[in-house]
Amino acid sequence: MPNFTRAKVLMYGFVSLWSLFVMLPLLWMVLASFKTKRELFMDPLGLPGSWTFDAYERAWGVGMGRFMVNSVIVTGASVAVITVVSGMAAYVLARSDSRWLRLVYLLIVAGFAVPVQAVLVPLYQMISGAGMLNSMAAIVLPYAAYGIPFTTVLFYAFFLDFPKELEEAARLDGCSRIRTLFRVILPLSGPAVASSAIFQSVFIWNEFVLALLMLNNPGTKTLPVGIIALGGEFTSDWPAIMAGLSIAILPILLIFVLAQKYFVRSLAGLGK
Amino acid sequence: MAELEVRNLVKNYGAYNAIKDVSFAVTSGEFVVMVGPSGCGKSTLLRAIAGLEEVTSGQIMINRRDITRDEPSDRGVAMVFQNYALYPHMTVRQNMGFALRIAGRPQAEIDAAVNRAAAILRIEAQLEKKPKALSGGQKQRVAIGRAITRAPDVFLFDEPLSNLDAALRSQMRVELGRLHAELGATMVYVTHDQTEAMTMASRIVVLNDGRVEQVGPPLDLYNRPVNRFVAGFLGSPRMNFVKAEVVALTVQGLTLRAEGLQGVLEVPMTEGGVKAGDAVVVGIRPEAFSDDPAGGWVLDGRISVVESLGRETLLYLDGGALRAFDSESHEGYFAVHRTRQITARHGDPLRLGITADAIYLFDQDDRAIGWPSTHATQSKDT
Repeated sequence: MPNFTRAKVLMYGFVSLWSLFVMLPLLWMVLASFKTKRELFMDPLGLPGSWTFDAYERAWGVGMGRFMVNSVIVTGASVAVITVVSGMAAYVLARSDSRWLRLVYLLIVAGFAVPVQAVLVPLYQMISGAGMLNSMAAIVLPYAAYGIPFTTVLFYAFFLDFPKELEEAARLDGCSRIRTLFRVILPLSGPAVASSAIFQSVFIWNEFVLALLMLNNPGTKTLPVGIIALGGEFTSDWPAIMAGLSIAILPILLIFVLAQKYFVRSLAGLGK
Repeated sequence: MAELEVRNLVKNYGAYNAIKDVSFAVTSGEFVVMVGPSGCGKSTLLRAIAGLEEVTSGQIMINRRDITRDEPSDRGVAMVFQNYALYPHMTVRQNMGFALRIAGRPQAEIDAAVNRAAAILRIEAQLEKKPKALSGGQKQRVAIGRAITRAPDVFLFDEPLSNLDAALRSQMRVELGRLHAELGATMVYVTHDQTEAMTMASRIVVLNDGRVEQVGPPLDLYNRPVNRFVAGFLGSPRMNFVKAEVVALTVQGLTLRAEGLQGVLEVPMTEGGVKAGDAVVVGIRPEAFSDDPAGGWVLDGRISVVESLGRETLLYLDGGALRAFDSESHEGYFAVHRTRQITARHGDPLRLGITADAIYLFDQDDRAIGWPSTHATQSKDT
C-alpha cells in the first residue's frame, strides 16, 4: 500500500473515532429522550422499548415555548449589540494611527483573557445594584461585553484588508465616516458579519452559568436554565430533560448546517 | 467648468517631503496631465486636490474659492480611481447615482443624470448589472460615468488606464479625448506614462521628486525641455545622453569633443555660460541621428537589438567603448528610431552622424543650454 494511502487511512480512522467520541453523548441524549424513566436507569445504553414522544410533551409542558422565545430575543439582541458596537469600534481602530487607540485595541484583546467565572460575583452585584436582575438586559449586556472583544478582533482583521479606495470614493460622494461604515463597508462585510453572528449565537444560545445566576423568574428564563426546571431536588425527569435539550439544539444545529462555511471562516479569520 | 489653482503646496509625511512648494494653474476647460516617475508625488498632489490628503501648507483654489480645508465632497471635484473603486454591492445605476442620492436629490433628477452620463459613455445596456459582471474597460467607463453624474467643476483622474491592456488603453485614450472635447470640462490627469501625457494633454506638468520641473504644451516640453530630466522623461525611447567637453569657445560658438566619438562638433552657440574646459552633456533624440556621417560627430557601432514595428524600426546600437548614460537600456546602447522598415541583424555595423543642429546641450547642473536649431525659436512656457 503506498504511503500516502496508509496515511490517509490512519487520518480518516482517527477522525472517525474522534467524531464518534464527540457524537455518542449526543446520540445518547436523543435516544434517552424517547425512553421511560425506568428504561433509562435499567438499560441506560439500550434502545428505547417504544418510540414515544411523551417526554417531549412533558418537556414542552414546563414552558419550553416561552424559554425558546426568550432565548431567541436574548440571542438576537446580544448579537445585534455585539455586531454594531464591534463594527464601529473595529473600523475606528483599523483606520486610526493613534498610539492610544492601539493601546485600546490591546486592552480589548486582553478582554479575552478574563474568564467569566472570575467576575461572576462583582457582575451579579453590579446587575443587582442596577436593578436589572430578572430582566433580559441582565444577560444581554454581559453577553455583549463578552462577545465584543472576539468580534472586534475579527472585524479589525477584515477592515485592515478592506479596499481604501472604496472609502475614498464614498467620501468624495459625500458620505460621512458613519455613513461610509453603514452604506459601504458593512454591506460589503457580509462574511465577517455572518461568521461573527453565528459564532456568537452558538455561544449565547448555549450559555448557562450567567443565565442561571441572573434569571430566576420563569417568564425570563432562557432555554438552558428553563430545562433545569425538569430536574427536582430528589427526583429528576431525565427523559424529559433530554427531550428538552434535543429541542434546544435544533435551531442552532440548523443555523450551523446552513452557514457552516462562515463559521469555519470566522475561526480561520483569527489567524490573519 | 472651472479653473484650478495650486499655490505653494507642501505635503510632509513626518520628516519626508512628498510635495515641495508646488504651484501651477489650470485654466477653465483645460486637460492638464501631471506626469513623472513613481514616487514623484503626482498622486499625492492629485489626492490633495481631491481632499483625500491633508496638506501641510499652501492653498488650493477652485474658481478663486479656497478649498484647501474643505471636505472632499464640498470641493466640486470628482475622481476616477486607478482600480475603479466601484461599490460591488450596487448596480451600475446605483453606483453612478450614489453621490446624488447621498446629497438627497430627487429620484427623477438622479435618473436623468445617470441616463445622460450612460448615453455619453455608451453604457446604457450595463446599467442594471453589478460591477463584477463588467469587463475592465466597462468598469472604467462606469467609474468615469460616476464622475460625470456629479457634474463636478474639476475632474481628477488617478492613472485610470493603467489596469487596462494595451489595446483598450489606446481606445480609452481616444475616448477620454472625445469626452473632454464634448464636456469641455476642466480635467487633471495623473499618469506615469509619458505617451498618455503627450497624446492627451493640453498642457503637461512634469513632476520629479516632489517638485514641478516644467509646465507647458506637450510639444513645447518635447522640443524645449528646461533640463535633462524633462528631456529624458518625455519621448520613447528616451533621449540618448553623452558626456562631452568644451574644447574651445569662439565668437562663432563652441567646439565639443566626446570620448569615443570621432571628430569634433562645432555648435553655433554663444550663450549658456559655459567656458572652455567645462564638462557638458549632449542629448540626441533617437530620431535625430543622421544617416550621413559627414559634418559632425561620427558614431560607429554594431546593432545589438532590432525592434521592427512595421511602419517604424527601433535599433539599439552598441557603441563599443562609448556608452550612452542614463539610457533606455542598462547596457548603455544608443536608441535609434527610423520611420521605415529596416532589415538588420544583431552584429551588423552601423555608422551614424550627429550634427550640431540636432543636439540638446545641458550644463553641469543638468540645465538645458542649447536646443536643436529647428526648435530654438519655439515659445518657452515654464
